[in-house]
Amino acid sequence: MPDTVALRHPRAEALARLLGLVAFALAVFAAVLLVFGKDPLRAYLDVLAATLGSAYGLSETIVKMIPLVLTALAVAIPGRIWLINVGGEGQLFIGALAATGAALHLAFLPGWLLPVVMAAAGVLGGGLWAAASGVLHARGWVSETISTLLLNYVAVLLVNFAVFGPWRDPEGVNYPQTAELVPAAILPALGTTRVHLGLVFALAALVLWALVMRRTRWGLEVRAIGGNAEAARRAGIPIGRYVVALMFLGGGMAGLAGMAEVSAIQGRLRPSLSPGYGYSGFLIAWMARGHPVGIVAAAFGLAVITAGGDILQMTQALPGSVVNILMAVMLFVVLGREGARR
Amino acid sequence: MAALVRSLLSGAVLSGAPLLYATLSELISQRAGIVNLGLEGVMLVGAVSGFVAASHTGSAVVAVVVAALAGGVFNLLFAYLVLARRANQLATGLALMFGGVGLSALIGVRYVGSQIAGLPELRVPILAGIPVLGPALFAHDALVYAVVPLAVLIWWVLRSTRWGLTVRAVGENPVAAFAAGRDPHVLQYQALFVAGLLGGLAGAHLSLGVARTWSEWMTAGRGFIAVALVIFARWHPLRAVGGALLFGGAISLQLSMQARGVPISPFLLDMLPYLLSLAVLAVGRGRHRHAAPGSLGRVFQGTP
Amino acid sequence: MSRSLVAILSTLALIAVAATGETADPKLKVGVVHLGSVNDGGYNQAHADGIAVMKKNLPEVEVIQVENVAEGADAERVMENMIRQGARLIFAASFGYLEPALRVAQKYPEVKFVHPGGYKRLPNLTTYWASTPEAFYLMGMAAGKTTKTNKIGYVVALPISFFLANVNAFELGARAVNPRVETRVVFTGTFLDRGKEATAANALLDQGVDVLGVIVDSPITVVQAAEKRSAYAVGFHSLAAQKFAPKGWITGVAFTWGNLYTRFARQVLDGTFKSENILGSLKDDFLTLAPFGPAVPAEAVSLVNTRKDEFAAGKAHPFQGPLRDNTGVERVKAGETFPLTDLAKMNWLVEGVIGQPR
Repeated sequence: MPDTVALRHPRAEALARLLGLVAFALAVFAAVLLVFGKDPLRAYLDVLAATLGSAYGLSETIVKMIPLVLTALAVAIPGRIWLINVGGEGQLFIGALAATGAALHLAFLPGWLLPVVMAAAGVLGGGLWAAASGVLHARGWVSETISTLLLNYVAVLLVNFAVFGPWRDPEGVNYPQTAELVPAAILPALGTTRVHLGLVFALAALVLWALVMRRTRWGLEVRAIGGNAEAARRAGIPIGRYVVALMFLGGGMAGLAGMAEVSAIQGRLRPSLSPGYGYSGFLIAWMARGHPVGIVAAAFGLAVITAGGDILQMTQALPGSVVNILMAVMLFVVLGREGARR
Repeated sequence: MAALVRSLLSGAVLSGAPLLYATLSELISQRAGIVNLGLEGVMLVGAVSGFVAASHTGSAVVAVVVAALAGGVFNLLFAYLVLARRANQLATGLALMFGGVGLSALIGVRYVGSQIAGLPELRVPILAGIPVLGPALFAHDALVYAVVPLAVLIWWVLRSTRWGLTVRAVGENPVAAFAAGRDPHVLQYQALFVAGLLGGLAGAHLSLGVARTWSEWMTAGRGFIAVALVIFARWHPLRAVGGALLFGGAISLQLSMQARGVPISPFLLDMLPYLLSLAVLAVGRGRHRHAAPGSLGRVFQGTP
Repeated sequence: MSRSLVAILSTLALIAVAATGETADPKLKVGVVHLGSVNDGGYNQAHADGIAVMKKNLPEVEVIQVENVAEGADAERVMENMIRQGARLIFAASFGYLEPALRVAQKYPEVKFVHPGGYKRLPNLTTYWASTPEAFYLMGMAAGKTTKTNKIGYVVALPISFFLANVNAFELGARAVNPRVETRVVFTGTFLDRGKEATAANALLDQGVDVLGVIVDSPITVVQAAEKRSAYAVGFHSLAAQKFAPKGWITGVAFTWGNLYTRFARQVLDGTFKSENILGSLKDDFLTLAPFGPAVPAEAVSLVNTRKDEFAAGKAHPFQGPLRDNTGVERVKAGETFPLTDLAKMNWLVEGVIGQPR
């Protein structure tokens, strides 16, 4: 996704316009709250206070942001050559499955090695899951859009199959979850917060991706395909191979997110692994048009909204999922503008 | 054996009916050239609106009408964004899903655990008396009986009426349709409104007919199964009937088998709809060119 | 786009810091985390009703409740946010919240936690539950005397051992009064899919079942499905389910947590909280057998009441050997019983139950 559009406008004007859009979205949501007899200003202040108003709130927002950045990358990387990966959710689940498999079967590895092996398993699992869609697409059989979407459900069901069946915790009252992972399998966290090493993975992946795109021959060829696939094909660039490779890389990022959630947040594999991180990642990548800084910013914004949801229940007696309305309105506004400018 | 057949059939019908409404909704949408991943949200808005209406008026008819209209109006929001604002279909659809989840939760928060009369069971005279088949097929609510004729109607409308043919033409190639002097947007708005009505009915059947309760996210992914079903049916309304029965039957089979003590993993069985749809696409390539609407080529066919 | 977003967010952050204000302190703030909705007529409503009773008994207690909290990463944040709002007693009201509660409890030793059904404790975390097999046995007796087809169906969310134990006890109770009863159990695999529960209930009814039981969060769908097709229903979790089956209601077992919750809150107010593992039974006031419906024969009522007294006196046991599982393996020897404190290990279904325990 080219990221040059925003630069065509003078910066101040772009900022003002964006502010206007955000203000519009906030006003729409405020109107919805007013209709239901709630105080929108209080709701906004509560969300902000709970997420950005304290070190703890900020740390939890970052925790929420980590999988969002990685799943957004899972969309942005193949998106560079116009592949549409709607399968971040499934790739995240398969990454978690593979990482859990490594943790359960290689629990004897030392503490510095086990997380590395789990991360590799997560990347490989998510990557291969996405690469399968890449192959289907490169062969001209099924588009990656629809195969990644359909495979999401297969992936979630596979995880369910594992935790209800062969991997069920033998000690755990038949509850559908694996045994607790050994301490060596847990990613280190920052102080008493839940901010974990996955943050470094996510940011490093973003930077590496940007560097590879700008500085390497490989990146140049990717950009060539993204610019004009037909011309690239005539220039002898093997497009099919790039399709599979970029799908693998993208899926690998979602798989890494799954590994980090299992290792750092959940401590075991269970069916309620993700509240739709893969789909949110898709929206973030789309809003940010694949731009690394934009991904971080949009992921942070979305993390504020979702992490702030439960506060509204405590202070405003609103169902926690109403923040989904705010998220949707924001997206509508941004997507509507981006579309109209095309 | 008779009990199993009855259980399987009536379960397939009961699970299949809301799926079929949802599938027909997605089918019309895609025939008009637009993929709607937000169907889940449309269904939820329909489900909760219908439930609220039923709880206040006590009238099943009013509830169903309200649900359909709510779905239609909510889908117009999607239509406005993808048509007038030219927003990306897939991203807008996902955003619509999130919005529908939140909006329905907000509307429905006071109605969780409320009691409603729901859709009355209408036994078809004589037919309901047939052994085994009668109670399985002819002892349901009105929305169940309506859905198959509706599928036939949609098939006929798309195949034989001027409006249907134009919608399909727009879905095949909006530019050509425009060149032929038709405003594709007007038709697409109409098609998406109709799709929204059907999505609302799908939700209404869940909350008023099947479960008779409202709970958050009660569609539990059925909107996405419908996307798979449209592909499985290769964009044909009559095949969608078979597909919905088959998918509904798979759910019913799994539950019935459990009730008889047959060991079968529900999770592996639940994968079938998705894998079958993939297989249909992969195998069907070349032969029918998928029968996919032309302007969806980028979305559904393996050709860049 | 991105740079400007950063600018906006940092401005908002400043406003947020300014907005963090404190409100006047009540004597005790209590936080309650629910897996589902508090009006579900079932599991969550039972907890919420208990909290309401506590609030009535102790008006000086302030309550913060959060519904629909998934058992994954979010539960921990919700609990911690409650503590940041001033909560000093946390009800982590779902089995899957045990580990999040343990982690937060370790971080905040001065805050007290109570968890239903947990198998691990901390000095500031009490676990409590009521052993339900006796009650299910009694429900089974009532249902066994009421059924006409001798087929009973159970719609169960997950095959976890406590649920299997309940279904087993139910079948044993039913067999005690009617040896021909068989119980068919169907697992939906989720607590949340009402449509699937309805299909499961109807699948069971289509196979000739005329009594439906249910172990999911909200019994409303299944109980209504039974009533709609003129079958009988037994309830679980909350007394609120009865109104959905005025004709077909047999009985139900409900958690009536009010007094226990009042006790917890009072302990925290008095500073007498100590970590306990509470396992109650029908003798305690937090497990209640619901009133019998009109369809239950009078003979059944007296049989149930006699056995209830025998349970209370320790003269009878729901899992009295010899017991075989439904594959023919002997699980409890003649003259022995399966201890009610070991239910976590019950991973089999008793003879007479049709279904798979996994």
